[in-house]
Amino acid sequence: MTAIEIRNLAKSFGPVRAVDDVSFTVEAGTVTGYLGPNGAGKTTTLRSLLGLVTPDAGEALVNGQRYASLAHPLNEVGAVLEATSFHPGRTARNHLRIMCTAAGLPATRADEALEQVGLADAAGKRVGGFSLGMRQRLALGGALLGNPKIYILDEPANGLDPAGIQWLRGFLRHLAHDQGAAVLVSSHVLAEVEQTVDNVVIIAKGRLVRQGTLAELTQNGESAVRVRTTADFAPALEEAGARVEKVEPGLLRVYGLEAETIGQLALDHKVLLTEVAHERSDLQKVFLELTGEPVAAEAAQ
Amino acid sequence: MTALIRAELQKLFTTRIWWAMLIVMLLLVGLNLFFIIAFAGDTPQNGAAPGLPGLEDPSWLQMALSVGSSGTIFTMILGIIMMTSEYRYQTITGTFLTTPRRGRVIAAKLGAGVLVGLLFAVVALVVVGVVAVTAVLIAGGEVSFTESRVPQIAIGVVASLALYAMFGIGLGALIRNQIAALIGGIVWAYVIESIFAAIPALQGVGKWLPGGGTQALMSIDIDTGLGESQLLPAWGGALLLVGYAVLFAVVANLTTTKRDIT
Ligand SMILES: Nc1ncnc2c1ncn2[C@@H]1O[C@H](COP(=O)(O)OP(=O)(O)OP(=O)(O)O)[C@@H](O)[C@H]1O
Ligand SMILES: [Mg+2]
Repeated sequence: MTAIEIRNLAKSFGPVRAVDDVSFTVEAGTVTGYLGPNGAGKTTTLRSLLGLVTPDAGEALVNGQRYASLAHPLNEVGAVLEATSFHPGRTARNHLRIMCTAAGLPATRADEALEQVGLADAAGKRVGGFSLGMRQRLALGGALLGNPKIYILDEPANGLDPAGIQWLRGFLRHLAHDQGAAVLVSSHVLAEVEQTVDNVVIIAKGRLVRQGTLAELTQNGESAVRVRTTADFAPALEEAGARVEKVEPGLLRVYGLEAETIGQLALDHKVLLTEVAHERSDLQKVFLELTGEPVAAEAAQ
Repeated sequence: MTALIRAELQKLFTTRIWWAMLIVMLLLVGLNLFFIIAFAGDTPQNGAAPGLPGLEDPSWLQMALSVGSSGTIFTMILGIIMMTSEYRYQTITGTFLTTPRRGRVIAAKLGAGVLVGLLFAVVALVVVGVVAVTAVLIAGGEVSFTESRVPQIAIGVVASLALYAMFGIGLGALIRNQIAALIGGIVWAYVIESIFAAIPALQGVGKWLPGGGTQALMSIDIDTGLGESQLLPAWGGALLLVGYAVLFAVVANLTTTKRDIT
């Protein structure tokens, strides 16, 4: 059974089409990154999945069911939402204990979960005094209480320090790859999830623009090799089957040949190459192209 | 459901507002009690209206015990806070994630509210009882807990505090904004109710309001000079209060609680 299934989901807020006919699935044992710029509709999708927002059309299912019809939701789905809020006067431990009580879980799970997210020392402190990162960890602790097999996380890295982000990456991979959980994690920064996710779903202005594995996404942009030489090297390259683009005098962009082949070719033709470099199709660039953002980063370079 | 009610009680008792409310309630009850002890047996100069009964008069004890019902405003406030603080601090998200069937959350809160109201009522009655009985004994009067409607008034206090907590929860579910719900509840209890209770022409309507329900529950028809007020029977008053709470909760369940949590 598909762990998470979103089928033709649509939701409008007044005139704003927050989510427009989005469909994708997340299988057990994988981490899927749900990417899109601000206001793309990520949060709205995830909240629909969790029964907090009623979609206008389509379905959002976990384990084949609507979240609201799950008998023991915390045992099936762990969720961390953006700007998760806590009562400032309540301690971290009490916050989780209340969830345990309501969900029929043993109260000891609260301390275990706090231990897991590295908050054991702050268990007895009021949440009002917590930093953003500590709140984020506490929210993650709440998601772990019922040992679920599905995780839905909305920008969980928000507010985490570099060590925290590192830890989170490892933790999400562990949940998916070692424990077989299905993890859906949203972010508007591709680089943040690049090292964690197996699959990517990209949304922009409420519409799904691309979905596939991380590798497929990078293949989208053709990879090229930059070759700098003063010699007239292009005919030889073209003869070998490459497509050559003359970027500027002395600089070629070669498609369809590996750097090693090019080097061999240069040796055979006794051509001096002053530079041979892979032009890796930058993931962030692909992302920006797909989401239709002005490519400000590139212009600045 | 008992698990959900326990969770709701845990929510209340892991924050500080409840004992602040309890202390303020006891202060107000104490103040009331001080005045009716101080002015016991006083007859106003003009003699038009009968004053407070004397300490030896059995009806004084009734009156003293009924002071406990001034706690209704605090259990109502607590009920409003129990509901609206979920929206104020957005903890409602987590609550609905844990219990996606939203109607059950409201029902559990109503159940927890009743228990909290009972607790407050018992504390108020114990304090009032100890002070009042001491005052009566010092004045040389006799105390009988079975006579003179003492049990009925005690039950009335307990029921009205519990029902007002429910009332507050229903109101809070309907008006999710904490400040608005608190202002609404307090204005209602102190301004509108007292207008309806005080003006004889409006008493026919007033008896159908929550305050009229409380009064009916206590059946304190001590003549205040404005004539007998037309109250419902005690059971009718109780039903009326439950009715309001359930009505609010049901309306809230059909409207506000259905809304998107974004
Ligand atoms: N409650 C709401 N009322 C009105 N409009 C809303 C509401 N919630 C979201 N929107 C709109 O829906 C669109 C999608 O918002 P959403 O929060 O889902 O985006 P997002 O991808 O999570 O963005 P971010 O990266 O900033 O978190 C936005 O245009 C937003 O303004
Ligand atoms: Mg968002």
